Amino acid sequence: MSNTKSAKNSYKNLFQQTEFTLGVIIVLLFVIASVFTDNFFSMYNITNLMKQCAITGVLAVAQTFIIITGGIDISGGAITGLSCMVLALLQRDTGMNFWLTLVIAIIVSIAAGFINGIIVHDFKVPPMIATLGMSTIIRGIIKIISNALTVSGLDERILNMGNSSIFGIIPTLAIIWLLVALAIFLVLKYTIFGRNLYVIGSGINVAKLSGIKVRKMFLSVYALAGLLYGIAGIMLAARVQSALPTGGEGYDMSAIAAAVIGGASLAGGRGAIAGTLLGTILMVLINNAGVQFGLNTHVLEITSGVLIVFAVTMDMLKNRKKA
Amino acid sequence: MMQETILKIENVSKFYPGVKALNKVSFELKKGEVRALVGENGAGKSTLIKCIMGVEKPDEGRILMNYNGEWICNTNALEAQRHGVFANYQHVNIAPDLSIAENYFLGQQPKTQLGFVDWKKMYDDSKKIIDKFQMKVNPTDKIRNLPIAMQAMVTISKISVNEDIRIVIFDEPTALLENEKVEILFKFIEELKQRGVSIIYVSHRLEEIMEICDSVTILKDGTYVDTKPIEEVTKDSLISMMVGREMTDIYNIKHVEPGEELLRIENFSDSRHFKDINFTLHKGEILGFAGLVGAGRSEIMRAICGVEKRLTGDVYVRGKKVNIKDPSDAMKHGISFLTEDRREDGLALILPIKINVNMNSYDMISKRGVISLKKETERAEDYSKRVNVKTPSIMQLAGNLSGGNQQKVVIAKLLCRDPDILIFDEPTVGIDVGAKEEIYKIIEKLIAQGKGVILISSYLPEVMGLADRLIVMSQGKIRAEYGKEELKNLKEEDVLRKASIED
Repeated sequence: MSNTKSAKNSYKNLFQQTEFTLGVIIVLLFVIASVFTDNFFSMYNITNLMKQCAITGVLAVAQTFIIITGGIDISGGAITGLSCMVLALLQRDTGMNFWLTLVIAIIVSIAAGFINGIIVHDFKVPPMIATLGMSTIIRGIIKIISNALTVSGLDERILNMGNSSIFGIIPTLAIIWLLVALAIFLVLKYTIFGRNLYVIGSGINVAKLSGIKVRKMFLSVYALAGLLYGIAGIMLAARVQSALPTGGEGYDMSAIAAAVIGGASLAGGRGAIAGTLLGTILMVLINNAGVQFGLNTHVLEITSGVLIVFAVTMDMLKNRKKA
Repeated sequence: MMQETILKIENVSKFYPGVKALNKVSFELKKGEVRALVGENGAGKSTLIKCIMGVEKPDEGRILMNYNGEWICNTNALEAQRHGVFANYQHVNIAPDLSIAENYFLGQQPKTQLGFVDWKKMYDDSKKIIDKFQMKVNPTDKIRNLPIAMQAMVTISKISVNEDIRIVIFDEPTALLENEKVEILFKFIEELKQRGVSIIYVSHRLEEIMEICDSVTILKDGTYVDTKPIEEVTKDSLISMMVGREMTDIYNIKHVEPGEELLRIENFSDSRHFKDINFTLHKGEILGFAGLVGAGRSEIMRAICGVEKRLTGDVYVRGKKVNIKDPSDAMKHGISFLTEDRREDGLALILPIKINVNMNSYDMISKRGVISLKKETERAEDYSKRVNVKTPSIMQLAGNLSGGNQQKVVIAKLLCRDPDILIFDEPTVGIDVGAKEEIYKIIEKLIAQGKGVILISSYLPEVMGLADRLIVMSQGKIRAEYGKEELKNLKEEDVLRKASIED
């Protein structure tokens, strides 16, 4: 039946379109920047580009599955900063085993995410407000434990990780980002947990009546996001080679933008890791190429803002058409 | 009085990707005429209504309205309303967090001399409407807190707020209403008719149409079939025009001798919806629950399945007491629940059929949380076929299906768990005759397999026609129970009387 084919295609198109369009734009931007600027297509800059992607990229992956459930998390940057600070303090001030410091930084982040989940599910606070509050609380905590000062004295292994790369071109940080993305991609595609995220995002009552343990899901989702922020915090320490009290600030917006540009819908129920990866690359690429073209960084800030508004608007229009 | 034409629909076509929703439909509507619009789901009724309301634009043809002798075309919803065209929408379309009064006067609040909202006048006027429609609610009540039937009543009564009413479209107005409210609606329609208002009345309940309409227009697969005066049609002839085949008694399914006890409910009470509820369900039995909307039937079922809490009462499955804390427990004990609100509780509208069908049984096709994608697809294909979901592909989004097909997807989802006990709460609300019949056939198959079915329906012919045993409720209590023999001679009036008992 030709009918069968067309419906199948139109459904597939829906998902592929975003990713295809993004891919084309990224390639175009890449080519243009390579041809028209001197420094863009250099080993140094390409490596740098990937490093820039890596941390936002991990946050964007977390944001994607939270957005799929119909939520949003703007405490990601703060938790990343906390993880980074905890790691730096432990490594500077205690003789603790290196691996243990990593584990503690991650556990602290998971705990913060878990509390987000409790506030969102049990106290029924809208995710935006819950995580905004959490973000503010955590920024305060960071400043208290660090006396609002930059902390250096990180372990050699962390410092080296920030500068190391595989085959001399792919930075370790980018590898971590891609591994995290791959893991979450597999979770979304192959697990009950992944399916349940989409069901919850498309309607909480439907999820409940289908026997999904909604509370457990919410707590797990936000805790899993915490885990990713914990990893991002370690990456941040490696990249900056120290821990700043403001570490991770501004990452949330980029992460949300990357997810939404990549096709995640703030109304919930839709989103995919591949799109988010491309969204992340596009966000970073615009900035990086913009700098190479000599554009004012403040102008680029405006560009990023416009891009976010544009992506969300497109999402809203799509939803309106559906309804 | 019935001479002047008020609405001309000329060769209207509307295309959606892959579907011709309307194909060169033409007919006219006279002033003061009550015109029924019938057709199966997917026949194009909703699309046509949207075009008349200016919500959608026809791709071909035009819709003209006679406005004081001038032929005009409403290009958007606001314009249509300004010209006196109103509709209640099938899916209750009101602001849930506002009060009844605020919803009535949305966008046209009475003002004081200073230009502030005149709340007193607004509440007084709202009270008048509420009294007129005998709704027994307060103007300040929030929509969200009202039962769904009352919400439907609000959308209907909201129409009477307007002064200049010329055309009113009722889209399935009685789908959620109990009989008493239906009578009030009919009175309202009669009143509108006397005022010279033209009415387009969309309903799947043909009895109603025969009762209140002057004429009927039949649509089938997006095309115009015929328009006839109501005297010239019968229920059977209408159905055959709608579906293209004769249909005898659609409730005539094959029953089986009920077997051993499957489910027993003892002393169920909660704080406000139901009290002292006891009943049993047997293998191969259809247990009907009749009653007015708000009688507490759905609430009992929700409590059985652990969706809502109860104060007292025990559930026994096959004679063994079970502890059900949430719907997943209910499923483990073989109880599956189809809720009355399929769009809110039953389906993930923005997800494909594939996920919807598998949604509550992923554990059955996965190992350690990892799903077999192959089985996921196979199951979706298999079960959609079993219940005859009409769709080009299982990747179709559930929200794009017609009501009947959506309901079949929900049933497919329940069947995936192979439950012994199925609770169907208003399974045929807002779906067409053809799909209804298919759902009855599914129920027939289920009881033949020895499953027990609880059927809640506010539509008496349906629940009386299908049940082996019938329980009638009012105000949260069981008022009557009829066995198979008694059901044969039971009259609707008797059931209604029991269902209207007040304490």
